[in-house]
Amino acid sequence: MILKLLDRLEETVIATLMGAATIVIFVAVVHRYASGVSWLYDYARMFNLSWAQELCIYMFVWMAKFGAAYGVRTGIHVGVDAVINRLSTPWRNRSIVFGLLSGAVFTGIVGTLGLHFVLEMSRTEQVSADMEVPMWLVYLAIPCGSYLMCFRFLQVCWSFIRTGELPSHDHSHVEGIDVEEVVHEEEDHVDEIAHPEAHDFHLDHDGPHDFRPGSHDFRPGKER
Amino acid sequence: MSAAIIFGLLIALMLTGMPISISLGLTVLTFLFTMTDVPIESVALKLFTGIEKFEIMAIPFFILAGNFLTHGGVARRMINFASTMVGHWHGGLALAGVLACALFAAVSGSSPATVVAIGSIILPAMVDQGFPKRFGAGVITTSGALGILIPPSIVMVMYSVSTNTSVGALFMAGVIPGLMLATLLGLVTWYRAWRNDYPRMAKASPKQRLDAFRESAWGLLLIVVVIGGIYSGMFTPTEAAAMSAVYAFIVAVFIYRDMPLRQVPKVLLDSANMSAMLLYIITNAVLFSFLMTSENIPQTMAGWILGHELSPWVFLLVVNLLLLLAGNVMEPSSIVLILAPILFPVAMRLGIDPVHFGILIVVNMEVGMCHPPVGLNLYVASGITKMGISELTVAVMPWLLTMLAFLLMVTYIPVISLWLPRMVGMM
Repeated sequence: MILKLLDRLEETVIATLMGAATIVIFVAVVHRYASGVSWLYDYARMFNLSWAQELCIYMFVWMAKFGAAYGVRTGIHVGVDAVINRLSTPWRNRSIVFGLLSGAVFTGIVGTLGLHFVLEMSRTEQVSADMEVPMWLVYLAIPCGSYLMCFRFLQVCWSFIRTGELPSHDHSHVEGIDVEEVVHEEEDHVDEIAHPEAHDFHLDHDGPHDFRPGSHDFRPGKER
Repeated sequence: MSAAIIFGLLIALMLTGMPISISLGLTVLTFLFTMTDVPIESVALKLFTGIEKFEIMAIPFFILAGNFLTHGGVARRMINFASTMVGHWHGGLALAGVLACALFAAVSGSSPATVVAIGSIILPAMVDQGFPKRFGAGVITTSGALGILIPPSIVMVMYSVSTNTSVGALFMAGVIPGLMLATLLGLVTWYRAWRNDYPRMAKASPKQRLDAFRESAWGLLLIVVVIGGIYSGMFTPTEAAAMSAVYAFIVAVFIYRDMPLRQVPKVLLDSANMSAMLLYIITNAVLFSFLMTSENIPQTMAGWILGHELSPWVFLLVVNLLLLLAGNVMEPSSIVLILAPILFPVAMRLGIDPVHFGILIVVNMEVGMCHPPVGLNLYVASGITKMGISELTVAVMPWLLTMLAFLLMVTYIPVISLWLPRMVGMM
């Protein structure tokens, strides 16, 4: 229940930051050009948007830190799995668990370093250049994001040990195209199909998070 | 000595299959903890400042713009336009595939997504017309890779971030090689189709062409917003990226109506997911190159190479081989972020132009996407054609060899990449 809530919160936060940052920069650019038009000048002058760039950077930094944690859950962080896919299943599983735990250790260490850093910072009066928000508040993204990421690695690791399943990201998913349907080529309804949750194919080298080594290689193609 | 330890550690960690970002970060932490007395707090600071640049923020915006327009509906319009233009030549639909890939790549930015979007629409049609499946698969798999050369390109932004080269100049420089490669791939397709007498389509009337162009023009204007905006000085590259994201949103939702408004949050979430992954690699790569610099590794390497009087000619050959090798196991962004900061100082000392060097790397990455064992495009194409990887490898050969030849051309004829940016005075 709480986990579901955390998932939702994570997704909402990063999607909102993404959209908001885009709007901020868009408005700032429009504003800059509006200031150059005489009859808009008076309106444009009422707002000062010089802080937009800084705000955008901080929004994206927060987005990046929490998005990286979300990425662990969706299996988007890719690695080199050419070697481990050739190992026997027990060794392969061991090295996957090792990889996930290393991820947890690294993000744990980084989170702790970041926390120290933020604590130290909070004793100073440092503020950011344009918006003048306290810097420690900005840097808070590092410990929060890293600890969340650490938690996600442990979560994925735990579920891998229990069920043997890893999240894997499909880099080739295209909205409005369904690979299975397309083989029978029907123009009209292809657009209507919402993203099917289970795709027929997965990329085998899609990070260490895929559990079926090289399954494509066993699929004989039709000779012409 | 320390270089050997660092790279040994990095490669060992990578081979366990952990995410590349994590192996970069762990290498740095381990080395700093055990071998040096660099204050560890500086690492925490680097983790933040690593991505605290406005230039880097072009990446999430470009991804967002691409995701809005990476849609089956857009792909279909591009294919229509392309087949009215070139469909009446030999191998009409296959040529249309090359052109459609180039057009779609210009708006989408993701190479595997291009293969899927264009491939899954055009391949069944090609098989219906009597093309052998292999032929179609070969064309689409390789043409799909055009995406990272034709601007806007994420890989180019990555290169510019890690070497401080101008994004605008790189984008400009990518245009001519992109068109050339598309033409070359088209020529190979045409020649093979002509030899084997593959089917052609009826010639489209000027009106059909105009209609198809009008349909696809909205999508194609994206590249005009980006290149035109940067070139005319209206926007900085990052602003151009943000404007293109807003433009893509308007086109997808209100003009093409491919995407209902309620789907926008999902696009935002997907884009955030992808961008965060890339930004996380960047953060850790910055950390890694900080370690490299503090251990003086690029400088030492440059000194060694200059000491042995290695000519630029040999150096570029070695760089190409190294990158092709790396392309066997990693995806383009990570390769650029890890290797560019190391190779770049050497290239500069040898008097190689930074923009030319960037284009060389990007073309090399394209080749890497199409050859086994881990060419992403191959796997995606194998998914839609239901062909095995080994069979596909044979199928892509003629085009892959063309790409390799093109890589050599780009490597040793700098003017291919440098003419346009010089012409318009961007460098």
